[in-house]
Amino acid sequence: MSKYFATSQEIKQLAEELCKSHEIYGPQVDQQSGQVFFDVLSDLDALDLDAAIPSMPVKEILFPQMERILQYRYDDATQNVTMEKAYAEKPKVLFGLRPCDLAGIQCLDRFFLGQEYVDDVYLAHRRQSILITNTCTRPWDQCFCVCTHTGPAADEGYDLDLTKIADGYLVQVGSEKGQAIADQRGWTPAEARQLKEKDAVVDRSVEAFPALAKDNKAWISRAMNRITTGFVKHEIWEYIGNQCVECGACSFVCPTCSCFNIEDAKMCDGECERLRTRDSCSFEGYTRMAGDHNPRQPVEDRRNKRFFCKLSFSQSKKYLRPGCVGCGRCQWVCPGDIGLPNVVQYLRRETTA
Amino acid sequence: MNYKACVCNLCGTGCGQFLKTNGKAVLGVSPSIGHPVSKGKLCIRGWHVNELLNTNDRITTPMIRSNGKLRPASYDEAIDWVIERMRDFSGPSGEIGVLASARSSNEDNFALTRLARDIFKTDVLGVGAEAGHHNSMAALTHAFGYPGAIGTLTAIDKADYILVVGTDITRQNPVIGGNIHAAQMRGARVVTICSARTQIAKLSTKHYQQKPGTKGLLLNALAKALYAVRTMNHDRQANLDAIPGYADYIAALRSISSVALENASGIRYEEIEEEARYLNMAKSVVIVFSTGISGLDKQTTEIIANLALLTDKMDHEHSALIPVAGISNLQGTYDMGMTGKPGKSVFRSLADARSPLKALFVVDHDDGIIRNRDRIENLDFVVYCGAFKNPFMDLADVILPLTSFNQTDGTYTASDRRVQLTRQNTENLSNSLPGWNLYQLMAEKAGQYWGYCDAAHVFTDIAKRVPSYADLTHDRLGRGYGLHWDPKGFPTAGKKKFHAVRIEYPKPKTSEEFPFALMVGKAQHFWHQNNLMRKTLIPRREYDQTLLLYPQGYVEICPDDAKKLKVKDKWTVQVTCSAGTTMKIAVKVCPDMQPGTAYIPYFIKNMISDFLIKYDDAFSAGEESVIPVRIEEA
Ligand code: SF4
Ligand code: SF4
Ligand code: SF4
Repeated sequence: MSKYFATSQEIKQLAEELCKSHEIYGPQVDQQSGQVFFDVLSDLDALDLDAAIPSMPVKEILFPQMERILQYRYDDATQNVTMEKAYAEKPKVLFGLRPCDLAGIQCLDRFFLGQEYVDDVYLAHRRQSILITNTCTRPWDQCFCVCTHTGPAADEGYDLDLTKIADGYLVQVGSEKGQAIADQRGWTPAEARQLKEKDAVVDRSVEAFPALAKDNKAWISRAMNRITTGFVKHEIWEYIGNQCVECGACSFVCPTCSCFNIEDAKMCDGECERLRTRDSCSFEGYTRMAGDHNPRQPVEDRRNKRFFCKLSFSQSKKYLRPGCVGCGRCQWVCPGDIGLPNVVQYLRRETTA
Repeated sequence: MNYKACVCNLCGTGCGQFLKTNGKAVLGVSPSIGHPVSKGKLCIRGWHVNELLNTNDRITTPMIRSNGKLRPASYDEAIDWVIERMRDFSGPSGEIGVLASARSSNEDNFALTRLARDIFKTDVLGVGAEAGHHNSMAALTHAFGYPGAIGTLTAIDKADYILVVGTDITRQNPVIGGNIHAAQMRGARVVTICSARTQIAKLSTKHYQQKPGTKGLLLNALAKALYAVRTMNHDRQANLDAIPGYADYIAALRSISSVALENASGIRYEEIEEEARYLNMAKSVVIVFSTGISGLDKQTTEIIANLALLTDKMDHEHSALIPVAGISNLQGTYDMGMTGKPGKSVFRSLADARSPLKALFVVDHDDGIIRNRDRIENLDFVVYCGAFKNPFMDLADVILPLTSFNQTDGTYTASDRRVQLTRQNTENLSNSLPGWNLYQLMAEKAGQYWGYCDAAHVFTDIAKRVPSYADLTHDRLGRGYGLHWDPKGFPTAGKKKFHAVRIEYPKPKTSEEFPFALMVGKAQHFWHQNNLMRKTLIPRREYDQTLLLYPQGYVEICPDDAKKLKVKDKWTVQVTCSAGTTMKIAVKVCPDMQPGTAYIPYFIKNMISDFLIKYDDAFSAGEESVIPVRIEEA
């Protein structure tokens, strides 16, 4: 696919142009706390492509924490039900995605769109989305995408991909949609020297992992092997399960977690709404089935479910990639000490002992 | 950007969060990574506050009951009616009671105390969780000179030694529990004293599973051993001798007999001696215990305060003694004076059939179950103000809507005195009034002009009248993650005193006839009996799933006892207490219980209204209350 060079000014112009026809989302920094959010850009000047990995996953845009999906009303007199869908399709551009978040979207695509059943709500959000990725020129504390092969540069699935090089950006096209945008921009084709420069940027980023990505020294491939072959002692799962306070955070911040719950709520005057909310395998009520049977009642069984989902080979086969994209967010938010990278450590310590 | 900084309003930890709002509705939640206490963590409640704030079960319009039916009214009309009716009752003779909420902001509670004092002229006040908190505050004031936490919650991250007394903290304040666990992982010694094997007990370096009712004895034994270690090492601190009450305290400790200790508590003194060596070696010590509705009894809190004093480490910057509150602004509510005077609570007036109480003014009641319902039904006049619908509405003559905590500016004081500001981040679509403004309008109607223009203005008045808040303003609080109020606001701060303690060896109240020691407390998803949690989706499902499994509630017993009783999980049993009341309830077999003990979470309605009615002290004694019962196959 084509490759171009664009100046920072031209990248800004791209955002300005796209925002005329699309809702534009991108990384921005909350002034007071310094926390980074990937959210709607009410002001393009807030777009910060150098900002750290966003604190919340980008799935919020395609698969929000809570969403009204349907509204209906039952008329007593006529015994009629009227319904309307409560979500709308809006063209969006996700500007400056981190590669791990792109990989997360690919997992969600596979879950919501890639199998027998196609989820209309997700499709409505996803269909007209333009994905523009941004190579990580350095990792942050909690990153381990090098272990999950999801970064620091994206390799597929984007429409456009940006890499910051000396005097601007290398822009790579990843789809026809991306090509159509590029065709309108009049960017100069990239020179070989600029492609090499990107390689150097990526190499430098990878080399910086030991020094900068110091929170997590994951050991994913061996852990995958252990989990897939069932070579993990029950006591280890119990040790892990004992640390879970069942908050659900790990699922909520994980770019690939796709579980949800549907509930109908009554509003005033006979109107009802159908809400979809994110859900988590850490909750007891989530795994309970009809007739009082709960296949995963003890908390340790529910916990290992999560790690099977993220790391077992059979699951990876289903999603065409591992369920963990190495963003490290679950480590941030877990009140226990059992973010995925830590669990990998526990498995390793136990299995190498 | 749609993410607005906010403070979680669902327990006394005071975690930092962002609400994702489009200005009209709250769409989602994000934790606040930089918050010094929560550091990017939230519990299941905090993660689902968006569901609560989206509920359709809001009170949106004032209502007046006429001819038995509620009808919509304007604020003006409703306020008029309240003030006119309240004139019929005499506050000074105890006819008017005010039942406030420990979830309201400081501004709201401050204005409410003014309304109670200056307009209703009553001091029959109270909030739901007050009894326990009065005990904690009195114990701390006596020992350390001011009613509030010694040190701060962030000390947990640095302390050498952490003692958790009682509290099932990973359930009640999960983020504090998580911080304690993290401290254990980095090498701090975490010790839990609790008669059940709670999650934090499992995660501790050491768990003392004493017999129910002997926590205080065990803590005294630890103090004795600490004193002994010091004497042996000749590192007795001269300045400790100078603290009033020292000699009596030491004399009492000396009288503890190892044999009697072991008989009563089931713990050997040698173990305690070893523990004391660790405690002595630590440079910094954090002690946490729960305060409020399921808190400890007076005596146990005094024993804790004494032990903290005796360690002589409380002045270290990484030491702390924290009464952990289950409700967000319990500390602030106390600071504002809304908890009333000890011994004169609105609950007491309600419970006492001969009290002169005739009218009741209630704000944001959290409980789904209303105690003393019959009495309230027979009162002449009941006013309910609140953001969310509540069964109290059925008892009210006038209902006044309030804003929810994200629809107005307000400050909240967490368990460790951290005062934090939440700014309005969502439009107030139904034009509800914030509490302070509603009370101000009432005062105006009654002829008193307060002149507050916004919450920040109310706060300047707080700073003037509450000395420990003197140097705080909304502007200062809004710049970071809040500020701790200053103990120096109390002239006695730093004046230390030991409590007089009596050494008692609680005899098991159980007998052959009533062999189980029944404890009453919280369960995982039943915070505050759930009026709020019932308005969420996911936490409510978690609650319901327990109810589905155990529709009449459950009593937890250990597998061995279950075997002896020949019952299995979910089988119904009959529980009979020594006062004669009985209830049918399902068994939940739970390996974390000790033999001979039983546990019932107190969300079950008929338990509160019928079974426990004879045990009022079960509420005031909180965690330490033990009721002897017999359990039989039903
Ligand atoms: S499991 Fe954790 S580290 Fe892996 S993708 Fe999910 S949130 Fe990120
Ligand atoms: S974030 Fe941690 S404590 Fe919370 S549900 Fe996940 S594993 Fe459990
Ligand atoms: S621990 Fe308390 S303050 Fe923190 S999220 Fe949970 S309910 Fe909110």
